[in-house]
Amino acid sequence: MRTHTGFIALLVAAAFTGCSDSAPETGFAGLAQYAGEADGSGFLQPQPGDTLNFPEDWGPHPQHRIEWWYLTANLTTADGSPLGVQWTQFRQALQPRPIESDPPDPETWPLDAAWMAHGAVSFEGDHWFVEKLARGDVGHAGATAEPFRVWLDDWRLEALPGSAEWRLQVEGDGWSYDLRLGNTGGVVAHGEEGFSAKSASGDGSMYFSLVDLQVDGTVTLGEKTLDVSGKGWFDREWSSQFLKTGQQGWDWFALHLEDGQKLMAFRLLEDDDTYLSGSWINTSGVVEVLGNDELTLTAVNWKKTQQGRVPVTWRLTIPSREVDLTIKAPPGTYWNLGLYPYWESPVSVTGSHEGVGYMELTGYSH
Amino acid sequence: MMLVRAFVSHYRRHPFQLAALAVMIVLATMLWTGVTLLTEQARHSLFQSEEAVAAQVHVVRADGQRVSVDDFVDLRMAGLCVAPWLEIQRPPPEGRVIGIDPLAMGCFGESAPGGATGSLDGSPFVDISDAIRLSREGYESRLYLLAANESVALPEGYALRAFSLAPETGELADSFLLNLDALSLLVLLITGLLVRSVHRLGVAQRRQSFELLYRFGVPRRRVQQLLALELVVLSGFCVVPGLWLGTQLAAMLGGGFGQALDSLFDVTLYAGSAASLPWQAAAVMLLLVLTACLVDWLVPQRWQGVISSRHGRVIAALVLFVGLATVALAVDLAWAFAGTALVFAGAGWLTPGLLALAAQTLSERAALDGTGPLARWRRRELAAMFRHLALPVVALQFAMATVLAVQALVTTFESTFEEWLAQRLEAEFYVEVPRGADASLAAERLQELEGIGPWHRVARGEARIRAGEPGKDAEPESDQVPADLFALTPVSDLVRDWSLLASSGRPWEKLEQGGVMINEQLARRHQLGVGDTLKIGIGGTSTEANVVAIYADYGRPAGEVMVSGAALPENFSPGFESFSVNPGDLTMADISEQLADVWNISEVTIRDNASIRALASQVFDQTFLLTRAISLLTLVLAAVALLIMSWVFFTTRAWYFQLLSIWGLPARVVRGQLRRLSVLLTLAVTLAALPLGIWLTWVLVSRINPLAFGWSLPMELYPQFWLELGVVAAATGMVVAHLMRRQLVHRADRKQVET
Repeated sequence: MRTHTGFIALLVAAAFTGCSDSAPETGFAGLAQYAGEADGSGFLQPQPGDTLNFPEDWGPHPQHRIEWWYLTANLTTADGSPLGVQWTQFRQALQPRPIESDPPDPETWPLDAAWMAHGAVSFEGDHWFVEKLARGDVGHAGATAEPFRVWLDDWRLEALPGSAEWRLQVEGDGWSYDLRLGNTGGVVAHGEEGFSAKSASGDGSMYFSLVDLQVDGTVTLGEKTLDVSGKGWFDREWSSQFLKTGQQGWDWFALHLEDGQKLMAFRLLEDDDTYLSGSWINTSGVVEVLGNDELTLTAVNWKKTQQGRVPVTWRLTIPSREVDLTIKAPPGTYWNLGLYPYWESPVSVTGSHEGVGYMELTGYSH
Repeated sequence: MMLVRAFVSHYRRHPFQLAALAVMIVLATMLWTGVTLLTEQARHSLFQSEEAVAAQVHVVRADGQRVSVDDFVDLRMAGLCVAPWLEIQRPPPEGRVIGIDPLAMGCFGESAPGGATGSLDGSPFVDISDAIRLSREGYESRLYLLAANESVALPEGYALRAFSLAPETGELADSFLLNLDALSLLVLLITGLLVRSVHRLGVAQRRQSFELLYRFGVPRRRVQQLLALELVVLSGFCVVPGLWLGTQLAAMLGGGFGQALDSLFDVTLYAGSAASLPWQAAAVMLLLVLTACLVDWLVPQRWQGVISSRHGRVIAALVLFVGLATVALAVDLAWAFAGTALVFAGAGWLTPGLLALAAQTLSERAALDGTGPLARWRRRELAAMFRHLALPVVALQFAMATVLAVQALVTTFESTFEEWLAQRLEAEFYVEVPRGADASLAAERLQELEGIGPWHRVARGEARIRAGEPGKDAEPESDQVPADLFALTPVSDLVRDWSLLASSGRPWEKLEQGGVMINEQLARRHQLGVGDTLKIGIGGTSTEANVVAIYADYGRPAGEVMVSGAALPENFSPGFESFSVNPGDLTMADISEQLADVWNISEVTIRDNASIRALASQVFDQTFLLTRAISLLTLVLAAVALLIMSWVFFTTRAWYFQLLSIWGLPARVVRGQLRRLSVLLTLAVTLAALPLGIWLTWVLVSRINPLAFGWSLPMELYPQFWLELGVVAAATGMVVAHLMRRQLVHRADRKQVET
């Protein structure tokens, strides 16, 4: 899963434009406000039995309400210092559009969908973040499956012509990165053939990842340009109802372990309960789905920040595999202060396995 | 407590006086609050309009074509922070709306244009997709691409221009606010004088009571304190309903005022934007009441004598003269207003004394001529009244002069505007060229039609102009200013009868040969005259042309340049095109059918002369609603004040008038004398208001209007207004006389009962 925060910020953006008299928000960023409304709205809701289709699923899903393309990378600079990079682009539809129908005329400045992109760099305890917004179907933001391309203004992730590599270019205020991404593994489908449940009642999203990305390139921070390389993690996810009513946010982890195995785990926060799920991916790319009772996730240490109290150290266990991990964010604060603030930080992993990864925490901001 | 009771016992005996004072304060507060609220809203709106696009620039295409969605996408993809700004011009009452994309404006941060308004409810901002829908209903629209800052590196083929929400108006908006401030101050002055006059009358009557209190051991200072306290309490009670009434007044006039702002400056009035005013207004009114009523304590006794002395009159005459000279020589609006204030001060200072002197002289002359004693008495009594009623007389004089001048200004404008409209709307029908349709084909078709009357094609767009010397190198583009472009093809007979403000010989022929005409606003703003050379940039092509005429263009702020359509460059992209047509021997239905055929559409949009004229008149009426309403209210207030004052004053002299009966004059004759006296009083004030009013009319049309709005009006006098004012004054006098007659009858009855 890669429940992305900002998502529904796009809905709010829609409210800015006067196109939506939104109901009071429920769940983080209003992501649960569609509960019970999906039927009849015209949007398709993923369900068990749905499968992934390629190459179409690299591109947008106009019949679904929400989707995102997400990349994190744990990189190191030439001198071995760790550096984290995040890029996410969200699409929020305000009305569904059949796949076979043409997109609306850009001359009408349509608002059938809105786009949002987040870019962040974390380095030596500092965190840089920029958010970008765009109206859908005008042309300066969008996504295509073939050739694979996702863009918003001058930010873009695109397949390089004649190459298996992708290129990611992002420029913020005084910082930027330009990275090449080479995939050395296959597509990892989470949950049941790509359907990832988000609650015990079975609501969920379609979710797949690329977990074996080799990342190289440069990161520029002010006057300083750093050569970087490392591991990346790419997520694709779409749905029309993301959170269940009562779910307030989530804690999400994507970890590269030193032995080559990977772990994705998330916890959805509810008023009186939590919903846990995950994927254990072995070195061959085989996925073991971890159910609610098969892993534990506990906040160990909390950090007080201006934005709110955040659990920065976690314990994650998978008893069946004798996995017992301590996941820790580096010193510093890693709030992505966009329309909906959330925490997005690189993490280090110690315990039964060593490793690095990324952690996203929502629902902790004031 | 006993002291307080004794102190206010005067009002128990004269409740009417208390009521009069209270009514004065309520009405004064209402009037001032109303005007000030509107002024504050206008100030806020103008400020917001400036803020909305403060330091903004917009991107234009170097080839002169209008920017499109594709340009927006290209620029955003190149990493530039630009946002669309789609202006839709609708006729009143809806007016202009602006379509914006809040998502695209995200990169502007806090400097997002239009962000200050916070809502997309059409006042004036809407989401750009809604604006597009409006534009497709046939309204004129124009897309701009605003850039977040001036330092962006643009891709080739684009350039930056300064962006303004409203047309280039120079200092006009400031001048407009100054006008409103001056109106507020005038209202404040008149109401202050009225409050003071009513209060002073009461104090004069209470002087004996105060003396009695002093003899009973109450220090004079204590009496003064109680007097001040009395005013504070009274003001406290009266200011609150006055504020409420003022707010209501502002709300009532807000619509028309907003329309005026929109018409004059393309600025939308943001209602409810002066929330902090009521307590400020309350404080100002309290201060006004205290100052007006207690100023005697502040002015040394010897200075008070100077005001009515010969020295005082000399000083007043000097002030008047300096004021007249200042207005005549004023180079900006502030000086014009300062001079006007001096003239008012001098005239107000002199008037009561001069009127009294005139009455006195007439009385003395009557004595020499052997005129009857009653006439002599009447004139002496009149002289006494001018001295005693100096303040309300001056207030009424000011109010009448203002009403006279405003009335003349509005009427002059109305008749000039009518005349101007008649020449501008010479054609019987106006055909709008549909978006994307080829106007040239339509022109060719019209050319071929036999029997058609005069017609021409109008193309409107934007030009960039700069006054310059012939042959001099082109100035940097940033030095050029935008102006509306009005292109005519051919220069038909429909326009040749325009009365031009200034022109060279055969201006229309010269226009056809490449000359340009400019409107008065542009001429005044850039000190341009006939024969000057103008650098004009149209659609990326720059040319030089001579100004061959200056034409009047009333009621709007934008500068405009008129060219022959033949002089337009190939790449000129008009914002709006239409045909002005007199059908001649054909019917409009025939012509419409032909045009529909050329453009391959089912229906052609045609407006007739009458509907456009009605629309223009509607805008005009709205624009002057406020001015008319405020001046009328001021007159009513002043007339009511004079009524109250005269009645109170006459009442104090009732015993004296009764002596006339005791001396043997029949009641009918006494009543006649009172009637003549009161009518003479009010008519004399009207007479005194006339020169001031005429002078003020000249100041408004020839000095203030050009400085404030950029266009002047001919000076015209309207004696029927003088007559109307005279009738109002005479009616006031008659009402006073009627009230006095009742008073005298009542008094006589009481005497009879007592005896």
